[in-house]
Amino acid sequence: MQKARAAAVGIGEVPSGRFPERSEIEAAILACRQAILDAGMSPRDIDVVMPVGALASRHFNVDLVFSRLCEELGMLRSARMNVQVMSGGATSASMLALAEGLVASGLARNVLCVHSDAVGSLPKQAGIDLFSTTGVSEEWEAPYGHNMNAVGALASNRYMHETGTTDEEMAALCVSLRKWAELNPHAMFRTPLTIEEVLASKMVATPLRAKHCNMLADGAAAFIVARAEDASHITANPVYVRGHGSLVTHYTTSQDTDLARLGYEQAAAQAYEKAGIGPKDIQIAELYDAYPVFAMIALDGLKLCRGERAGAFVAAGETAPGGSMPMTTNGGMLSQGHTAVGGGIAVLVEAFRQLMGKAGARQVPNLVNAVETASGGTWMDSHVTILSKEH
Amino acid sequence: MTNSPRPLPHPSHWSAGYWQAAAERRFVVQECGDCDRPIMYPKRVCPYCLGERLNWRASAGKGEIYAVTTQLAGPPTGFADRLPYVLAVIRLDEGVQLMSNIVGDSALEARIGDRVSVDFEPAGDMVLPVFRLEKTGVSQ
Repeated sequence: MQKARAAAVGIGEVPSGRFPERSEIEAAILACRQAILDAGMSPRDIDVVMPVGALASRHFNVDLVFSRLCEELGMLRSARMNVQVMSGGATSASMLALAEGLVASGLARNVLCVHSDAVGSLPKQAGIDLFSTTGVSEEWEAPYGHNMNAVGALASNRYMHETGTTDEEMAALCVSLRKWAELNPHAMFRTPLTIEEVLASKMVATPLRAKHCNMLADGAAAFIVARAEDASHITANPVYVRGHGSLVTHYTTSQDTDLARLGYEQAAAQAYEKAGIGPKDIQIAELYDAYPVFAMIALDGLKLCRGERAGAFVAAGETAPGGSMPMTTNGGMLSQGHTAVGGGIAVLVEAFRQLMGKAGARQVPNLVNAVETASGGTWMDSHVTILSKEH
Repeated sequence: MTNSPRPLPHPSHWSAGYWQAAAERRFVVQECGDCDRPIMYPKRVCPYCLGERLNWRASAGKGEIYAVTTQLAGPPTGFADRLPYVLAVIRLDEGVQLMSNIVGDSALEARIGDRVSVDFEPAGDMVLPVFRLEKTGVSQ
């Protein structure tokens, strides 16, 4: 078991949805401002800024690379480094790991991690085409019509075949997320959803129907990572990073030899070992979704379902408000909205928010340990991070 | 949108042999001349031993479906007039996997485990390997 070397000490987020009047830079500035104020810091306490790669606008992404946020937020001649981090949807986990390494090694003291993007305001076909080229091979897959919904569909097909998970159980996961989103003022979709409505929605890519699929959204979120030994002096509610595990399993969808499991079993085993805790010590699971199957696969790999199949566990209401394993309590990408890389950042920030006790109407009581998952591209990798209120 | 062309492969010099074979209605799998392992997709160096002596091995183009989906809505540009179309991950008898379309009259019935064999479909100035369900005479 390793002692925590880093902690999250502040968070910020703007609402997800379609906000054509809110530019990406404005959303980024507002999320960073909140995170810095939440940590009780001034901008000049930040020595490293880590913006995440943005997809909708090359111009904005270039601004992120070239230190615009340092200039906008009053960090000129105090920030020591601005470095972009990008591994798609896995960036929440990879960025946290890098920030942890920087503060643990003494290369940085306080790292500001931020994501902003506006993929929700893209024209619909442009959004589909953008995500048909993120982790989809131009030479080997695009000529056959591969796209992001098809990734979710192929994994669902294989997962349901191997586990016997039903359409109703997959729909139950969408409903569980929506119940959380009803309590989240930052969520894009907050109206109640039923299993019947999911199953009556239009078939898009078998076995996925429209309401099994996420909706692209604009959004931004930020968090600050500090040295573990500084954390309790910065804030009363630090969240310690206790362990990571991860595994890359493919670039192209077709090269994954285990689409029903991906790398979550291996990633979870590593993370639990490093944290010195097991599934029974986890009180809340903030799992990367985008499509229901990927949260199911993570639930199985993390062994959070007390020996049950994830589908049965979800259908019994165990992951919804009031259940024994609250899961993805911001509503996930299926209900908070898919802000590109930010879908994962939002899930990570929600894990921090819950452990900090700042989750408002959806606050889960008596938390000590949380698990967060992330995956990038076409679920090219599986990341598991254990977070704790305990050092 | 329906008139937008479908995206076509832009072969690299190390994958050109695969596409040239397809243009000649032959299906090939890359193999390493040093460690003899089959490689998919074609690589610049062998991903197992980093060898550079890579060859093409004739393949029967037979295998089974590992995962499959029928796309009915929301396709990428170039595919609106192809709906519905079937995308599958196919595990070839050589042990390697690839993505392709399942084509033919019974394509919409394709399921995991179904046996498939290669066929060839012209697309622009290219020919793409696609797969058809083998007629087993036994419904699963």
